[in-house]
Amino acid sequence: MAGIISSKSEIKRIPLYIQGLDENIEGGVPEGHIVLVSGSAGTMKSSITFNILFNEALKGKVGVYCSLEQSYDSIIQQMVNMNFDMSRVNLVIIKDLAELRTAINKMKSVGNGGLVIVDIGCIRKEIRDVKIADNRSWLNVIKNVVKKIKEEVDCKLFCLDSLSALYVLSRFENPRIELFYLFEFLRDLEITSFLISECQPQSDKYSEFEIEEFLSDGIIHLRLTPFRRNVVREISVVKMRATACNNDIFSLEYKHNKFQALYGGQNPLL
Amino acid sequence: MSRITFAFKKLTKKRSGRLDKKWDFDAQSPISSSPIVADIDGDGNKEIIFGTKKGKLFVLDTQAGIKWFYDSNENVDEVELMFLDVESASSIEAPPNVADLNGDGRNEVVFGTELGFVYVLDDNGGLIWKYKTEGPIRGQILLYDLYEDGDIKVIFGCGDNKLYVLNSKGKEVWRFDAGSPIHSTPGIMHKDKPMIVFGTSDGSVLCVDRKGDMVWKFKTGGEVFAQPAIGNLFNDDRVFIIIGSNDNYLYVLDEAGELFWKYRTEGAVLAKACLADINNDNKLEILFGSCDNNVYALTPYGDKLWSYETDFWVANEPIVADIDGDGRKEVIVGSYDHNLYVLDCEGSYVLDYVPGLSGVVHQAGHYSDIMTKEPGKVTGKKIWQFKADGIIVGCAYLPDENSIVVNTRPGVVDDLVHKEE
Repeated sequence: MAGIISSKSEIKRIPLYIQGLDENIEGGVPEGHIVLVSGSAGTMKSSITFNILFNEALKGKVGVYCSLEQSYDSIIQQMVNMNFDMSRVNLVIIKDLAELRTAINKMKSVGNGGLVIVDIGCIRKEIRDVKIADNRSWLNVIKNVVKKIKEEVDCKLFCLDSLSALYVLSRFENPRIELFYLFEFLRDLEITSFLISECQPQSDKYSEFEIEEFLSDGIIHLRLTPFRRNVVREISVVKMRATACNNDIFSLEYKHNKFQALYGGQNPLL
Repeated sequence: MSRITFAFKKLTKKRSGRLDKKWDFDAQSPISSSPIVADIDGDGNKEIIFGTKKGKLFVLDTQAGIKWFYDSNENVDEVELMFLDVESASSIEAPPNVADLNGDGRNEVVFGTELGFVYVLDDNGGLIWKYKTEGPIRGQILLYDLYEDGDIKVIFGCGDNKLYVLNSKGKEVWRFDAGSPIHSTPGIMHKDKPMIVFGTSDGSVLCVDRKGDMVWKFKTGGEVFAQPAIGNLFNDDRVFIIIGSNDNYLYVLDEAGELFWKYRTEGAVLAKACLADINNDNKLEILFGSCDNNVYALTPYGDKLWSYETDFWVANEPIVADIDGDGRKEVIVGSYDHNLYVLDCEGSYVLDYVPGLSGVVHQAGHYSDIMTKEPGKVTGKKIWQFKADGIIVGCAYLPDENSIVVNTRPGVVDDLVHKEE
C-alpha cells in the first residue's frame, strides 16, 4: 500500500487529455482513483477513456481496456476513424484466455508501455463450451486478467467498458457488498481505473445501483443536450476526491485530433 | 493476585486465575472455520483437525505436532482457473467432520472445498474417494446413518443449489434442488424418522425427508448461512429447530416448520446456536452470537437471560464447558475483536436502584412502575478474556487437556488453558 503523503505536490495525476478540462481539475485524476465515466449512448465515454489509455501508453505506461460487448476490431476501427495512429503504441489483444500468457510475454518483450485490449465478448464466444458453475465467475475472469497483467507488466490503468454490461453478465445478488469488494480489489491493485457507466438520457442517476457513485473517487458525466436542431456534447466533473475541481458544465468537442472542453459554465448556443 | 485475595475468592466461590496459552501453531495460511476434536485413529488420544484457505487439511496431536496433512489443491486447467477467485479457489471453508464410514473401527475425515470437491481420507491422510459437485461447498459435511441401515451417508449443501446425499462409498443416493445456493451446514431432526434441515441463500429453511422430498419450508427475511441447532428445548418429546438468519433474527421453529418464536438482534446471526442447560432448570437454554457484537443467552421461551457485548461480530458457535474444573460450566466464545471470552453461565445481577423507600423517592416515573419494576437486570459477566493475534473464526474444547483450541483468521491456532495465579 502506498505510504501516507504529506504535501499536495506528492499527489500524482493522470491527465484526461481533454484540453480545457485538465486545467480545471488540477491537471488530472489522482493516480489510483476509481473514476465513474457516466453518460448515455453516443456521448463518447469509450473514446475519451480509450484516449487516456492511448496517450498514457505513449508515455510508457501499460493500460488494460476491458470491453465486455464491443469487439476489439470495432473499437480499433472507431479510434482509427478518429485519426488515432494505432501503430504508435504496443497493442496487444486478448481474445482467448489460453493466449493470455503469450500476450503478456509479448508485452514484456516489447517493453516501454502499451495498450492491452481484453475482448470479453470474443472470449465468451471462444469458450462457449466451458462449463461455468456460476455466471458470477465472469467477474473473476476480469479480476484475474487484470491482476495477472498487473503482476507481470505493472499495468497502471484500467478501463472497464462497461459496468452496465458487467451487471448483465454477472448476477449481483448483493450489489452493495459485491461492488464494495470490486472497488477494493481495484484499490488494492493501485491502478487508476475508469469504469464506464451507461445511463439513460436526462437521467439524474450516474450509475445502475447508485452505490457506485459513493464508492468511486470521481465521476465524469457526459451528456447530449439538444438545442433547437443541434445537439451539443457536454462534460462535467461531478466529483473528484483530492482535487479542487471546477464542476461547471463544458461543451465537449473532438477537433484537430484532440478532445476539447469549451465555454466553461455557459451554454455555447445561447 | 495476593494470597489473601485468592483465598477470599475461593471462599466466596469466585473464579480466580487466568487463561494462558499452552501452545500455538502457524498453519501458514488464513483459516475460515473452527477446528474439530476427535480420536480419528482409535489410539485413545484426540486429534485436532482443521482446514485452511490454501486447501490444506491439518491433523495435529494435542501438543501441536503435525500428525499428517492433506493438500487438496487440484490441477485446474488455466482457462478454468481464470473463472475462479484464485485467492480462495482451494479453500476449505467449513470444519471437517469424522465418522467411521467403512466400518474398519477407525474414523475417516470428510471435508468439502471451494472448488466443489468432497474428500474422504483415512486415518493416515490417504485419499479413499472424492466427489465433484458444480459449486463451492461452504458448509460442514454431515455424516449420518440416514436410513438406519448401518451405512453412514455423506450429506452436504452446495453452491450449485443442491443438497447431496452420498453413500459411504461416494455414490450419489439422491440430490435435492433447493433453487438457491446452500451454504448452511445441514442438521438432522430425528422425530420418527430422520429428516434433513438446512438454510439457503434465498432465506429459506427447508426440511427434506430421507427420500429427498421437501416436507416443509420456512421463509426468513435474509440469507441463512447458519447451521440449525436441533433439540428438545423443554426436555419433552417436542423437537425444535433453532436457526439464525441475516435478517438479524434467531428463529425457533417447531418440527412442522411453524414459527414458535423469534428473537431480534441488531446484526446478522451467522453461526450455529449452542443448546445447553446453563441454569440447571432441566431445560435447554440457547446461546448464540450476533453481528451486533453480542453473545446472547435466551430461555427456551425466547426471553433474554443475559447478553454480553464484545467489540466486534460474534460469528462462531459458543461452547459450554467447565474449563477451571470448579464444577460450574462457563460459556466460551470467540469474537472478531480478536478476543476469546469466557463468560459466567448465569450472568450477574446488576441493580438499577436499591429497592425500598430510597428507591421510590429517587426514581422518576409513576409509583406503580416502581412497585412492579424489577430493581435490576441480569447481564453477561466476563470471567476471563484472552487476546489472540487475529479475528477468531472458531474454537473447540479439548476435554482431555481441559483446554480450548482457537482458530484465528490469520492462520494461527492457539491452545488455551485455565491457570490459577
